[in-house]
Amino acid sequence: MKKITLAITCLLASWQVTAQETAQEQQFSTVITPAFTPVTWERLVDARNEPENWLMYSGTLDSQRYSLLDQVTTDNVHQLEMQWSYQIPVIDRAETVPLVVDGIMFITEAPSNVVAVDARTGREYWRYDHEMPDDLRICCGRNNRGVAILGETLFMSTLDAHLVAIDARTGNLLWDVEVAAHDAGYSKTAAPLIVKDKVVTGIAGGEFGIRGFIDAYDPETGERIWRTYAIPGPGEFGNDTWSDDSWRTGGAATWLTGSYDPDLNLIYWGTGNPGPDWNGDVRLGDNLYSDSALALNGDTGEIDWHFQFTPHDVHDYDSIQIPILADIEMDGRTVKSMLWANRNAFFYTIDRANGEFLHGKPYATQTWAEGLDPVSGRPIRVPGMAPTYEGTLVAPPIVGATNWYSPGYSQDTGLFYVTSFDGAQEFFKRDEDYEEGERFTGGGGRYLQPMDAFHSSIRAIDPTTADIVWEFPIMPRSSAGITTTAGGLVFTGSADGYFFALDAATGDELWNISLGARVHAAPMTYAIDGRQYVTIASGNVVYTFALEE
Amino acid sequence: MGQISPLRWLGLSAAALSAFIVTSLPSHGEDAGNLYNTAVDIRLGQRYFERQCSRCHGFDAKGNDETGAPDLTGRLNRASSDAGIFNIIREGVPGTAMLPVDSEVPDATVWQLVSYIGSLRYDPASVELAGDADSGARLFNGAADCSSCHMIEGEGGRMGPDLSRVGENSTPDDLMTALVNPDADVDPRWWQLRVTDREGSVRQGFRMNEDSFSLRIMDDNAELWSYPKNRIANYDRIETSTMPSYDGRLTESELDDLVAYLFSLRREVQQ
Repeated sequence: MKKITLAITCLLASWQVTAQETAQEQQFSTVITPAFTPVTWERLVDARNEPENWLMYSGTLDSQRYSLLDQVTTDNVHQLEMQWSYQIPVIDRAETVPLVVDGIMFITEAPSNVVAVDARTGREYWRYDHEMPDDLRICCGRNNRGVAILGETLFMSTLDAHLVAIDARTGNLLWDVEVAAHDAGYSKTAAPLIVKDKVVTGIAGGEFGIRGFIDAYDPETGERIWRTYAIPGPGEFGNDTWSDDSWRTGGAATWLTGSYDPDLNLIYWGTGNPGPDWNGDVRLGDNLYSDSALALNGDTGEIDWHFQFTPHDVHDYDSIQIPILADIEMDGRTVKSMLWANRNAFFYTIDRANGEFLHGKPYATQTWAEGLDPVSGRPIRVPGMAPTYEGTLVAPPIVGATNWYSPGYSQDTGLFYVTSFDGAQEFFKRDEDYEEGERFTGGGGRYLQPMDAFHSSIRAIDPTTADIVWEFPIMPRSSAGITTTAGGLVFTGSADGYFFALDAATGDELWNISLGARVHAAPMTYAIDGRQYVTIASGNVVYTFALEE
Repeated sequence: MGQISPLRWLGLSAAALSAFIVTSLPSHGEDAGNLYNTAVDIRLGQRYFERQCSRCHGFDAKGNDETGAPDLTGRLNRASSDAGIFNIIREGVPGTAMLPVDSEVPDATVWQLVSYIGSLRYDPASVELAGDADSGARLFNGAADCSSCHMIEGEGGRMGPDLSRVGENSTPDDLMTALVNPDADVDPRWWQLRVTDREGSVRQGFRMNEDSFSLRIMDDNAELWSYPKNRIANYDRIETSTMPSYDGRLTESELDDLVAYLFSLRREVQQ
């Protein structure tokens, strides 16, 4: 008996020693990155004027994804050559947009990891692997789209609905807070947005009957400072747009990254579909603020204005697209606009100071609305387009005319660029009861034609008229984002694995390379020692290109 | 209460641990048979499928190229038994987007799902066919002249799909439709492209590849032609079939024979 006790004691002791050694190894085996200048809020506000760095998911707070780098131009882009590639060890699809700070690149990986590499070579400095429970509730793959940086700290969303702060020099975990309960259907995939002295972040889970919100956290401590629900509670404006108690499980996830206007001190954030997605019978009403753009006070998170693109949506037309903020000349005046190509196939130009609808038109095939009310921008629905038990054919399909992949805007051409899909799908309705942590979608869809029968393209839209200026056809269906540069270029990718550059003014094809796997990410560009690089993730690999030296 | 001796403690702990393992670890399907296969189970399985699985596998379970989720209505590549399907649902497929079902989902629900997936297929031996497969084989290689375009087990032409396993994912009705109305459902791989180059000459052939930047066609002589899209004048797609309809060319009984033969073309089922 003593022997057994001794054996157990030894076993426990050796396990403890091993655990300690492992912890110590993890603590001290990290490789520190070279020093970089801490990223202050002032630098983030002025990010466009340090184009050698890519300091946030969408490049700048206005989310234009327009870089002032102009070494690579329409004349020489065909000379781009691959410089390095980084293989992501966990096999899944990479939706990451890396950040670059002073030659150090931060790449997020599936499921919720981040690695720091030398942006010249792709060689690793450190990595952070997030410990994950095994009962995740995720709708659409193990994705992570990127980090935010403030000072020397990275902030990352994780699939188990946590927000973590990581030391950007070492990869050490600084804090880890639960944003919401993952086993109740909440998850997080998007890069947070730094707004002044706060980390602003949304939530995913629109297919699990969650109640969406946007949060702000203290970057030092991880303490939550404010939370604004995307579905109003009882007594609040808009709660009566939900029948009965449906607001409690109404979705309106905020699963992408927003934008910020420092002059107006407004945060702009899109919200997702109402839940259940395809059965609107159990949530009669407009279902505010699902499928909306929300403008939040940059200090308090209070809703300043809202614009609902698709009231009482029954087709899963999330409005989580990234708001592009641009000052455009319209009718002889400069308009502080917000430009939005929605999943519902309409393009909108909105006054971002007050949410006023200026104009909008379809930019892709759609059959669900006769058009937009010219004053309010509210869609005028075609009768009989709601999902049924037998199926109803509607365009756009569930994946939308566009979706989460970033659009772009060029300050040189004044054009808005979007990856668009002209598809259609049969929509079905089902009756489902809400059960916490279970899918709550109320139906689904199926294609009646092969994917190749549909049309996809990169479309350039004039935001002053909402007219399509040019389009470049690609094979269906792309989920690549778009980046523009002062070199006159539009960089993007396609579902069939190409990364390519178009002339931003004309849409002419200038360069392409087949990377062999679908591009699910947006490109970004940076420079080191005066040399411009362009980076894109394709499949499970991050590729970086530059002109030959 | 007396003190628990270390040995007894160990025993209790081991019992508690094994109980924990038994209750918390998902079970592993074995070939003991699926007890949840009534019509009600299949309906419940379908309901669960539509809710939990259709996002990737499609509402009709026919798969989704974008997510890489396979068609579950035909032969399954990773499982050949109910127990195999059960284990894939329970354990997921490493290295793919197929995650294990939540460990709290009861086995009964997983078996109902297995039953539903099973209901999407059928035992080919249970299908009664009007025609005679041997006569169909003679027609295929003879009067109907199918083999000049279609290959079976390495014998035949290249101007149509290889039919060596066509019976695995087609019903007799599908096969009859393909014979009498070939335009009804043409795989995009067998569409044609008509390419006009910048000098104005036109070449037409099977659509071997069409991507964002290039085209490749195979002409009537089985020669391949590749084009960067930016070096041609234009191109058209022809989404109809090159196969003639056999409606009226063969008698009804001959068509039945051909269907019986095509339906028999499948891999040997491993027992």
